[in-house]
Amino acid sequence: MLVIKDLHVSVVGKEILKGLNLTILAGEVHAIMGPNGAGKSTLANVIAGRGGYEITSGSVTYKNKDLLAMLPEERAWAGVFLAFQYPVEIPGVNNTYLLKAGVNAKRKQQDLDALDAIDFMKIVKEKAKLVELDPSFLSRSVNEGFSGGEKKRNEIFQMAVLEPSLALLDETDSGLDIDALRVVAKGVNKLRGEDRAIMMVTHYQRLLDYIEPDFVHVLANGKILKTGDKSLALELEERGYDWVKAEALGSEKSV
Amino acid sequence: MSVAAIRRRAFDLFKETGLPSTRHEDWKYTDISRIQHVLSIDSSSTAPIDNHASIINSTAIADLDAYKAVLVDGVFDDAHSNLPEDVTVLSLAAFLNDMGGQAPDDIQRLFEVRGDEPLFNGLLALNSAKASDGVLLCVANNTVLEKPLYIQHISTQTNFIRHAILMGKQAEAEVIEHYVGVSEEKALSSLSSNVILKQGARLQHIRIQQESNQQTHIARVEVKQLQDSSYTLHAVELGCALSRVDVVVALAEQGATCALNGLFVLGGRQHVDHHTRIDHIAPHCTSRENYRTVLDGRSRAVFNGKVVVHKGAVKTDSAQSNGNLLLSKHAEIDTKPELEIYNDDVKCAHGATVGQLDEQQLFYLRSRGISAVAAQELLTFAFADEVLTSMSNQQVRAYIEGIAFAKLPHGAELDGLLG
Repeated sequence: MLVIKDLHVSVVGKEILKGLNLTILAGEVHAIMGPNGAGKSTLANVIAGRGGYEITSGSVTYKNKDLLAMLPEERAWAGVFLAFQYPVEIPGVNNTYLLKAGVNAKRKQQDLDALDAIDFMKIVKEKAKLVELDPSFLSRSVNEGFSGGEKKRNEIFQMAVLEPSLALLDETDSGLDIDALRVVAKGVNKLRGEDRAIMMVTHYQRLLDYIEPDFVHVLANGKILKTGDKSLALELEERGYDWVKAEALGSEKSV
Repeated sequence: MSVAAIRRRAFDLFKETGLPSTRHEDWKYTDISRIQHVLSIDSSSTAPIDNHASIINSTAIADLDAYKAVLVDGVFDDAHSNLPEDVTVLSLAAFLNDMGGQAPDDIQRLFEVRGDEPLFNGLLALNSAKASDGVLLCVANNTVLEKPLYIQHISTQTNFIRHAILMGKQAEAEVIEHYVGVSEEKALSSLSSNVILKQGARLQHIRIQQESNQQTHIARVEVKQLQDSSYTLHAVELGCALSRVDVVVALAEQGATCALNGLFVLGGRQHVDHHTRIDHIAPHCTSRENYRTVLDGRSRAVFNGKVVVHKGAVKTDSAQSNGNLLLSKHAEIDTKPELEIYNDDVKCAHGATVGQLDEQQLFYLRSRGISAVAAQELLTFAFADEVLTSMSNQQVRAYIEGIAFAKLPHGAELDGLLG
């Protein structure tokens, strides 16, 4: 589904990603962990198409298409979804209208008829229930006046409605209490399926208790330094990241 | 003194002062020399346009459940008006005629112009001298005007109009002034609306300026508020080559509250200038001001918001905000808040922003599948629409949104995005 090869990315002249390789197949859940400033959010943002990043070399292929050549909205139409680390408040833009426009823009690309208001509201209500989102939030402006936890829940709600093929969760767990985390995880797990993939960036092993990953990667120094299964996350929780960096340094030297 | 004498004196005052020029501090950014030629035209001699019935119908806000007063080129059109029976709404000219020029003091005072009043300029005196007609609305004590009063102005040539709104104690009303231009001539619409709110009176006042693109619109809204009265203005600027509106509010007795909301959506070479002045004269008064502009092309907006807190006006609560969105690098905004405070015990806030659309918000919308163009339009619209959220009349709001929406560069992209 997603193939990243030797990706180099700079932000205002500073290289953040330094030759990152990652392959995510349909049906898989990948967790990206790593120290602060390692480039985890950069990776998620570059895949979603946020501006301000300079891609100096490498490639990102999504469903056999050159993802880097696509506009952010084209990526959304093709099924890429980013759950933001810091969801943006947009006063005056209604949450439900935004989603309806998003869903119908995607359907238009797939030559499907636009959903009418009744069908759409049926989906919206069902998904809101799934992530236990207070229905009053549907008629409010996007994220305006939402608490941190409500914003994150709203991201997962949007994801549930938009049904992406590739979901990128950027620290969706940070700032959530245990109940909210459980609900968010439920929303994510519901999305899991053979033809979908999930990449989640997180600092905490805790999330992985609720959303079990197929792979855990350590991203540090701008590269994936180590890949393992769920047990790697537990080891990181116990030992931190330094040993992974040291190990990587050692293997580089021995080459 | 008769009304006629007051108006002759106003004309003398105009001859003395002439038109304001850019040498005046208050007119620094707004050059009205383009209207010099209209002053030589005797507006009283021109006949009203023919078959204006169809124009009245086609330019009115549709399906508005309201009383209606129509003025065509500054002359009250009885046939197309629909006035309430139990509340006084009538043609100012007809009223003066009936009174034989000896109007009650309240009405006489509406024509008085002093050279030393706030934001005085020669045009104000000229308006008093030349006003051909206007609407006189008197809502008696403890009376509620059941439906809004919709004043529709059709202008095809230069016209001078003077409105008066007198709100009795605990009276309530909503007044919508709608200015529609249907001429390609470089004409002037000169307006004055004089508002008095007695104890506990409440007025919702909406002005929609939608004159044709050669027209000049120069207006003054003067409001005097007594104890615990409440005044809300929505001043919407969509049309005209040049529009200048002065809003002067005196919070004269305690507990009075005013809210001034402004929305400009401009393009091309349009120029709109609003000078507002709020005088906090009495204690415990509240003023709110929220102006937003969306400027495209080579348009230019001026906002000058002056708040004066007088010596005895303790516990004044005043807040002003002015947001400006520049869609083109050739558009220009000149914004200036002015606070004069002669008192310690007050709460006064003001802020102005000038900017482009927020990149974070744009990316967020695009990441949800909204195209770049639609995302820009949506954010622009949301920015402008914020000013209208406090408008209680949803039909008028929808009308303004429709016109403002169509003025945005890619309005069609938004189809279906808004409920």
